[in-house]
Amino acid sequence: MMRIAVDDVSVTLSGRSILSGVHLVAGEGEIAGLIGPNGSGKSTLLRTVYRHLKPTSGRVLLADRDVRELAPAEAARHLAALPQERGSDFEFTVREVVAMGRSPYQRAFAGESTQDRAAVADALAQVGLAGHERRSFAALSGGERQRVLLARAFAQQPDVLVLDEPTNHLDVQHQVELLALLRAQRRTTLISLHDLNAAASLCDRLHVLHRGEVVASGGPRDVLTPELLAEVFGVRAAVVDHPLTGDPLIAFDHRSPVGTAPLP
Amino acid sequence: MAASAATRAGTGPGPEDPEIGAGSGSESEADSESGSEAEPKGGAGRAVRSVRSVRAGVVAALLGVALLAALTAAVSLGSVDIPVGEVWSVVGRRLTGGAAEPGSRDLIVWQLRAPRALLAAVVGAGLGLVGAAVQALVRNPLADPYLLGISSGASLGAVAAVVLGTGAGSAIGFGASGAAFAGALAAFALVWTMARRGGGFSPLRLVLAGVGIGQFLSGFTSYLVLQAGDEQQTRGVLFWLMGSLSGAQWSQLAIPAGAVALGLLVLQARARALNALLMGDETAAGLGVDVVRLRRELFVVTSLLTGVLVAVSGAIGFVGLLVPHACRLVVGGDHRRLLPVSALAGAVLLVMVDTVARTALDTQEVPIGVVTALIGAPALLYLLDRRLER
Repeated sequence: MMRIAVDDVSVTLSGRSILSGVHLVAGEGEIAGLIGPNGSGKSTLLRTVYRHLKPTSGRVLLADRDVRELAPAEAARHLAALPQERGSDFEFTVREVVAMGRSPYQRAFAGESTQDRAAVADALAQVGLAGHERRSFAALSGGERQRVLLARAFAQQPDVLVLDEPTNHLDVQHQVELLALLRAQRRTTLISLHDLNAAASLCDRLHVLHRGEVVASGGPRDVLTPELLAEVFGVRAAVVDHPLTGDPLIAFDHRSPVGTAPLP
Repeated sequence: MAASAATRAGTGPGPEDPEIGAGSGSESEADSESGSEAEPKGGAGRAVRSVRSVRAGVVAALLGVALLAALTAAVSLGSVDIPVGEVWSVVGRRLTGGAAEPGSRDLIVWQLRAPRALLAAVVGAGLGLVGAAVQALVRNPLADPYLLGISSGASLGAVAAVVLGTGAGSAIGFGASGAAFAGALAAFALVWTMARRGGGFSPLRLVLAGVGIGQFLSGFTSYLVLQAGDEQQTRGVLFWLMGSLSGAQWSQLAIPAGAVALGLLVLQARARALNALLMGDETAAGLGVDVVRLRRELFVVTSLLTGVLVAVSGAIGFVGLLVPHACRLVVGGDHRRLLPVSALAGAVLLVMVDTVARTALDTQEVPIGVVTALIGAPALLYLLDRRLER
């Protein structure tokens, strides 16, 4: 288990500032959520965490080590990412996709070790897809694909999971299933979510991004206030207790917009 | 494949499928490639692995046998048919260092047909290999080795040599080959310069730069073809543009064979990274792949290999597109299997096609590119049809 911290990260792409001075943290075994409206920089921030983008300044610390100073394969043994990409149309089986998660552990020309096979079988079992190894990945439904990709990340046996809107395009049932899986994992997790109620129910801590800056951090109940929802998300909402779970429940007022936030 | 029906049945349930784990499990069990036994859940991983590897091993072994048979047939058939037994006795004598038996058959087998058959195998292997790699490089199963403009540069170099006279005599002599490789390098440099801008070698940039520069260079080539002086020159140029192995000599085999072997080694070492690349750049980065560096390496390797192949045989179409595609259907998308199987299958295919090209007409040789197009285009349509049906 490791802690991941984003330390004063700024990103400028094509001369436009996307993130400025972002600080946030997901403690050991903690699920940290990243919320914010479209274009607030969530994906960009996560991309710097899993090393797809290089921050213009600042660092991403994995247990106090800068991820950019780690060898790529070593970083991938500690940190697994589930980007928004949804895979390819090439002819891979479910098992082949999940086995890709083992590549940070494998040398060129080497076959699979017993450990690799066990990790792949474990990961498939965790997402409930044991026995589906030979199905074609390209032919799966969106929900199944997402579970396979999550199993791929599990097969990396990472200390930290980074997920970019993993519930996008899933129906409600599959959303609930996927979040339950993450909750059961109890790994250090950094996850961006569109669905504020899902975030409130899943996350131990929330970070709110607005125009490239973190404007609030803390427990869901502290962060998700009607004032913040109005200011950052531009909606009128009440925050009540969920009648079944007791989690904060955001009840949006769909009739009266507060006014769209002007473009940055 | 019986699997396609089962796959359809297995994927029928959409997102509303209540329980994927239990309901469709039996169906997908039945969709195994070998139609094999139901497996205990725990041992599934091991059993699956062995089925796939064994299958790829069997395919490779069959292709190896097919390659030997195709090579033998290629040397045996022609304007003078030579019995298979005699083919092997000549080869055996030559390989064991025995004195060459005087006579035309030794000459035909050893000097004319054997180098040509082997060159066909080498070029076919190279095209299959490069095709698979380029498809991963630009993440598009319809890419081929000529997509990135390298062959257009090679053709321009060769045609310039033929028409402007440096390659006196044979159209596919060494002069034209040298010019073709130089042209390939020039095209590579141009595409590299265009594609590296804006942070680097994205598939779209590579394809746009490659297609644009390829078309530009083809314009020059077309102009030069019009300038060709006499019928002899025109025929030489056309043979080059459509591809031909008729210039094969023992002395020309070493470089392409070495290049293909080296290319296979370099690509095979990156097989897992290629798999990751097909899932997306961000996924690959998350798996510890340096995507920009990998693309740069792939572009260099595939371009050099394409340059060498086109320099010895012209731009033979369809093999690099069709072979990886067909192989993917048989052994799956994992490059650890796909790369070597594509190379083998490409070799078998091109040896067979070249034999047809040599022997189909009594009076003259058909350019090999004509045969690959006539066979390749319908085959591709058939494969596409099957693929889209699933």
